[in-house]
Amino acid sequence: MSDGHSRSDKLGGLLEPCAVRLAERAADRFEAVSRCGEVLVELGAVEPGYVAAMIERERDISTYVGAGVAIPHATAAGKAHVLRDALAVLRFVEPVDWGGEQVAVCVPIAAIGDGHLDLLADLADVLMDPDRARELREAAEPEDVLRLLGRPHQEDS
Amino acid sequence: MTTLQAADIRKIIVACDAGMGSSVMLAGQLARQLKKFPVTVAHSPVAEIPADADLVVCHRGLAERARAAAHGKPVVAFQIFLGDPAVTRIVDAIKNGTALDV
Repeated sequence: MSDGHSRSDKLGGLLEPCAVRLAERAADRFEAVSRCGEVLVELGAVEPGYVAAMIERERDISTYVGAGVAIPHATAAGKAHVLRDALAVLRFVEPVDWGGEQVAVCVPIAAIGDGHLDLLADLADVLMDPDRARELREAAEPEDVLRLLGRPHQEDS
Repeated sequence: MTTLQAADIRKIIVACDAGMGSSVMLAGQLARQLKKFPVTVAHSPVAEIPADADLVVCHRGLAERARAAAHGKPVVAFQIFLGDPAVTRIVDAIKNGTALDV
């Protein structure tokens, strides 16, 4: 498990400013997952077939991870629809009920390999820190989100 | 119940379905927390758990499938992805060099 690439390019093209959408709306969890899938399609990261696989996965096991955040992604079979690795960030103006949890932010994932492992570990760090988790949920600009997730990990230079 | 000595935990596998989301997140987080220890953390689909794993970690919803495929190795199931006490116990045992009941 490599931790080798430099921090300056740690977002590594995986999360682009245009992939951060801060004024989303969804009536329920599955509509939110569909929106997440549409954004990945729009980004050219996945084929439309990926979206159904995301909904299937969400029905199997919730992708809620904590601190008001879910990370929707496909089942193993859905990987066939991934065109390139990419993440997005969707913030919902009204929190979405997620099987009893309230989700304000979704971080949908399209990935074939492990290139996004570091970015997800950074997201976990942010979510474990109540202040930074709140900053993420309340971000006003895409740049705020990129800065939070791109911030150097404390053990690195 | 099995008791593992911290020194015997060399390879932890986070088992998952797609290997794209939460298991990757947890594997990355565990790898960071255990960076200073001689422990490898990787993730794999439940059906492909490597035979040399010492400990398998997976979401409760996958635990049964993981146990069937874990080559008799101990499986620790967690419920919440961030800060689950079951996962914290593993990290603490390795950091403190103590035994872990699984």
